[in-house]
Amino acid sequence: MFDKIAKFMDEKLSTPMAKLAEQRHLRAIRDGIIATLPLIIVSSMFMVIAFLPNSMPADWGITQFIAANQTKILLPYRVSMYIMTLYAVFGIGYSLANSYELDGLSGGILAELGFLLTIIPSSIPAASEAVTALAAESADLANYLAAVPSGFVLPMGNLGSAGMFVGIIVSFFAVEVYRFTQKSGFKISMPPQVPSSVARSFESLTPTAIVLLVVATITMFIGIDVHSIVSSLVRPLVSASDTLPSVLLIVLLAQFFWSFGIHGWSIVGSLARPLWLVLLEENTTAFAAGQAVLNTAPEPFYQWFVMIGGSGATLGLAILFAFRSKSAYGKALGKTALVPSIFNINEPMIFGAPIVLNPMLIIPFIIAPTVNAIIAWIALNLGWVNRAVASSPWTLPGPIGAFLACGSDWRAAVLSVVLIILSVLIYYPFFRMYDNNLLAEESADNK
Amino acid sequence: MKVLLVCSQGMSSAICAKALQEAATKEGYDVEVHECSTQAFAEEIKNGYAIGLVAPQIRHRFDVLKGEANAAGVPCLLIQPQGYTPLGGGKLLAQIKQELGEIK
Repeated sequence: MFDKIAKFMDEKLSTPMAKLAEQRHLRAIRDGIIATLPLIIVSSMFMVIAFLPNSMPADWGITQFIAANQTKILLPYRVSMYIMTLYAVFGIGYSLANSYELDGLSGGILAELGFLLTIIPSSIPAASEAVTALAAESADLANYLAAVPSGFVLPMGNLGSAGMFVGIIVSFFAVEVYRFTQKSGFKISMPPQVPSSVARSFESLTPTAIVLLVVATITMFIGIDVHSIVSSLVRPLVSASDTLPSVLLIVLLAQFFWSFGIHGWSIVGSLARPLWLVLLEENTTAFAAGQAVLNTAPEPFYQWFVMIGGSGATLGLAILFAFRSKSAYGKALGKTALVPSIFNINEPMIFGAPIVLNPMLIIPFIIAPTVNAIIAWIALNLGWVNRAVASSPWTLPGPIGAFLACGSDWRAAVLSVVLIILSVLIYYPFFRMYDNNLLAEESADNK
Repeated sequence: MKVLLVCSQGMSSAICAKALQEAATKEGYDVEVHECSTQAFAEEIKNGYAIGLVAPQIRHRFDVLKGEANAAGVPCLLIQPQGYTPLGGGKLLAQIKQELGEIK
């Protein structure tokens, strides 16, 4: 009976739903953003270093050195994670063009062009004589002038997560223009006497000209502020993603897919990751500016407090199989699955136990991350643990990853350990039942 | 013979690749197992593989990945869940044998 229902649900519900996430534009967003993750992870470690003085004795030399050079240490972060949309846009354009079997490089460049056309450079004139004369009398003004560059500058604010959604929209527009001009034959054509290489160089001009004219007309010549329009449209969605009901919805969806053996996190992440990045980058920016960090649930929240050991907080289950299993299969599984689980790789657990389509283990597989999410939500909102400000590598062991993600807050590591113990307790009764079943099967086989 | 396992990020497939490698070596087959992420698959599969193997948790991407493999003239198979565990190397090997006939 269970098998029939499960098969029906998988064929009619979970697999078709999962396939929606394979829609080419969603895939382009996912792949484009995933391509920027190494950059985000590495550069957010600069954030961790720059703010180490917060958690070290103030009289140490290294503490004072870091504190004195904080701005400089954060410069690599400013040109990487701080302006991550600049990078993501290239990846989105590249991936979308590839999915249409067009040249990925051209797609990436066109998308980047379109995006940068929404960022209006301003020209800062050199100080006039009158200003220089004033500066001679005011040290404050002289210092200020020394810090101001002259010439054209590009404001960086919207190159980061604030511009993410504009970046996505413009990338789609640029690549669709590219596709339209290539597939419809709407391009500059040359007489056959012209060498093909020359003809191609003209063909590639058409999409560029269209993207450039259309976007520049909207943003530069008419002067429509697309960033503030889009951000006021997206803001409610970003805020909604940072509430407990959304967190629980995300956790339940991910667990739902995984219960059928489909990579739920990858699917939920395809849709939610742009929002998570906005939440994280807002936190990071506030943290770097010494302001209050306000968002509870960017992706590191799930990584380090909800899905410890992988989706379903299965580290608890892996510990039980490794140390409390009586069946031969359970012991063998525990031995091989525990170490990957410590590094948050839990497919061996999910397919090995298996948890997939196993009613006995699916129950705690859903309960454990839900309970973790609620407890972590409360702990972070009561200020017991700092909110996440960095994206630490997801293959770090839980407590270490939590410590780094929360701006080197040792209480985050404690919370992680508490939640691991809790997940052991939640899994225990179900594990016991299942392991006894395995044991009974094994002794029946031996008779 | 070279085979390529693909999963979301090339992490868990590395564990199963090891299990498959061990099972194949034990049965005396000359098989070389590699793994990669879905993003890298389209390029990697062009490098002389006999078969592409897709992890069960990304089966919603199977059609796309199979298309990429077939475009490179390589058959592509969805791994049975029971074969995608550190203890399932033998099962996965059996599934490959069933698909390809005998392994050279």
